Amino acid sequence: MNVPFIGEVPSDIVVSWIFVSLIGVLLLWWLTKKEQWPTIWEYARTTDNRKIGTMYILFAFLFFIRGGMDAMFIRSQLAVPESEFWVFQSQKYNEVFTTHGTVMIFFVAMPLLIGLMNIAVPLQLGANDLAFPYLNAISFWLFVSGAVIFNMAFFFNAAPNAGWTAYAPLSSDTFTTGPNNNYYIFGLQISGMGTILTAINMIVTIIRLRAPGMKLTRMPLFPWATLVTSFLIIIAFPVLTVALLLLTFDRLYGTSFFLGELGSPIYYQHLFWIFGHPEVYILILPAFGIFSDIISTFSRKRIYGYRSMVIAIALIGLLGFMVWAHHMFTVGLGALANSVFAITTMLIAVPTGIKVFNWLFTMRKGVVRIKTPMLFSLGFIPTFVLGGVTGVMLAVAAADYQYHDSYFVVAHFHYTMIGGTILGAFAGIYYYYPKMTGKVLDETLGRWHFWLFIIGFHLTFMPQHFAGLNGMPRRVYTYSWDDGLFLLNFVSTIGAFVMGASMLFVVWNLYKTHRYGEKVGKDPWDGRTLEWSVDSPAPEHPFDPVPQVNSRDAFWYAKISEESLPAAENPRPSPIPVQTIQPVVLAGILGVMSIGFIYQWVWMQVIGGVGVLSFFILRSLTDERKKAYRKEEES
Amino acid sequence: MKKMLSILLLLFLTACDLRVLNPASDYARTLTDLIYLSFGLMMLVFIVVMVLFVQFIRKFKETPDRSDFIPGDEKENKWLEITWTVLPFIILAVLAVPTVKATYELTSTIGQGTSQANEEAMVVEVVGQQYNWVFTYENGKESADELVVPVDREVHFRLTSKDVIHSFWVPKLAGKIDVIPGKTTRLQFTPRKIGTFQGKCAEFCGAEHTLMRFETQVVSEGEFQQWLNDIEEEGG
Repeated sequence: MNVPFIGEVPSDIVVSWIFVSLIGVLLLWWLTKKEQWPTIWEYARTTDNRKIGTMYILFAFLFFIRGGMDAMFIRSQLAVPESEFWVFQSQKYNEVFTTHGTVMIFFVAMPLLIGLMNIAVPLQLGANDLAFPYLNAISFWLFVSGAVIFNMAFFFNAAPNAGWTAYAPLSSDTFTTGPNNNYYIFGLQISGMGTILTAINMIVTIIRLRAPGMKLTRMPLFPWATLVTSFLIIIAFPVLTVALLLLTFDRLYGTSFFLGELGSPIYYQHLFWIFGHPEVYILILPAFGIFSDIISTFSRKRIYGYRSMVIAIALIGLLGFMVWAHHMFTVGLGALANSVFAITTMLIAVPTGIKVFNWLFTMRKGVVRIKTPMLFSLGFIPTFVLGGVTGVMLAVAAADYQYHDSYFVVAHFHYTMIGGTILGAFAGIYYYYPKMTGKVLDETLGRWHFWLFIIGFHLTFMPQHFAGLNGMPRRVYTYSWDDGLFLLNFVSTIGAFVMGASMLFVVWNLYKTHRYGEKVGKDPWDGRTLEWSVDSPAPEHPFDPVPQVNSRDAFWYAKISEESLPAAENPRPSPIPVQTIQPVVLAGILGVMSIGFIYQWVWMQVIGGVGVLSFFILRSLTDERKKAYRKEEES
Repeated sequence: MKKMLSILLLLFLTACDLRVLNPASDYARTLTDLIYLSFGLMMLVFIVVMVLFVQFIRKFKETPDRSDFIPGDEKENKWLEITWTVLPFIILAVLAVPTVKATYELTSTIGQGTSQANEEAMVVEVVGQQYNWVFTYENGKESADELVVPVDREVHFRLTSKDVIHSFWVPKLAGKIDVIPGKTTRLQFTPRKIGTFQGKCAEFCGAEHTLMRFETQVVSEGEFQQWLNDIEEEGG
């Protein structure tokens, strides 16, 4: 297990090295010329929720480009039968779809949503920051560290190649030697830790830091979704940690949890999906929350059926833990198990349906203003419902024997993940952009982005249902002329490039907005909740004084009666922001330790381990908030 | 929206010759019927949502004369809420009954000896390995990447893997069953049409997963016997 020689490196990697180096040099030059280094230094040390949230989204966007390029390579290779596009056949193709899946789930969808939570949730609650700002910075830098580890793999010609699910025994060292899948394991372990810490942070923030008078039943739906999601994370992610830890032992130390006489590869599948299925609800619930708030704002109406919306979120979260084996219908668990999991899976359709009808009835009798965030929310409804109905079709256990691991499934989960999570993240970004930067993104370009994206999306994934029904399995790098899949795949490829093109409009939009956009006021969308009562962009200590909340959508009712929100008398003390480089250092040391394990360089493991341990000891003995306490005592 | 629907329609028309929807065995026929049933029920739901969606947007879109209008708060309508909670349950129940029935009919459990099949049934041992299939018949005949079965006779498969997990799939004849190292899974069906059908590995199994295909020939009983006894040709 060594870093390979340059001579045997495939050309795509060489091209990427050159490309990334050029961009890197340009970036350094630009940063120096514009004298941006102090800003970078400030962001590296910040614990402010808005800045961290913005960085989450920025990094997620970078990885989105990476995952998107993987998707383009996949679609190019599959455009015509028996094609040989560049290097993307056999193991190279396997690497591409593995990184595409893993990057999109863990380093795009998750951080996009967590970023939006960071920006919006404290503001919607009337809190001045997350409960543990320092911990929040740790979470963020752990995510960056994990993502960097994972993405490094490709540049050292060792991209993971066992699929984003990394099923054993394929992912064990017997069948996939080399550091490839070690990268997968450690990338996910490090970023997973960050995710768990974020969940704890969100729960405590929501329980402890709501503005006086904001009962749980007066919270907007995005914080509600965040709360339920955070509980899902706390329960589900440790299961992934366990699964990956056992896999690590199988790979590095010769145990046989998932192999041989004593182990079973089925255990890995159970563990993975006990994490994996709640994970998809972790990805969709926050998006539901964002859509609820946006649809309510742009219909100028209170959300319809608030109570049933909250119950539905909670029920989806709960049922999400009872359906994992529907990913394993073809394993041979038996008729009873398959039937039970089929029925629990179908049940999820009920609360989801309730939510869809509530969104529709929120618009009824309202004034529906179709601005970009609302456009994405409207695009979401039919798209996600299509993903939902194919979900019910997949829940029919016997019929799933046909759909399973075919392109039908690929189409289904892209309808839910893109139609739900990604559209939700786009809607959220357009909606909260003023709170991040003080500017509203350009409306015309936003529309171009939406229409190209949604048309491209349906062109890409609608045909894949039929490709699946015509017998095309997932994760194949080619097909024959006899398969009758050419037209379906060709349309799909065109769609993918239309989607890719839509992203250029995002880049153009960002540029145009920053160059020519004007600052907007506190409330550009005529919003209903507390985040629109503070400045854009949100300052570090936004609520001064903290408002008293006496109803749901209190800000809206104060606005239409032309009053301002009353100040609360005894708010909880706000969290204390600090400036510290420690989170970056910790993430760096953990990264070094991980590399040690990935390549099994024991000396590096020891150095990393000692580093982490000393960090913990030093950290336990310091408290940078003392200064703030002292100041308080003096006054 | 219209564009989407027209694509949907176009693709639906090509659906006539999709392999999964053109079954050649009783087993696959059951699945096809289930697929059509669930598709029909779900399209019903989709159409209802779309009608409301289009209607509400058309009617309540902001217009210049309503741009300053602030709609009053409305109380939730209990009956509406009950409707869209109870109706889905009914639809799902309609779907769940045949689902469970078919699942019980067609599913066998890992390792369980369900060989109480009728005398006529034929047993084929299947071994999956990176990246080919080996089929062994009762008389010891082995065949690689070519499965030959007689029409109208029940075939029982006992499947296992030599290395990683594979999945055995002949879309026109049956759903998938995973092929797992160290375990034996089972599958049975009765082919009803003579012909040559594609078989594939459906579980990602490594570098050349794509190439792990086999051909399934359903032939008449006479032809099958001839093939089965022709041991030399296959190098048995």
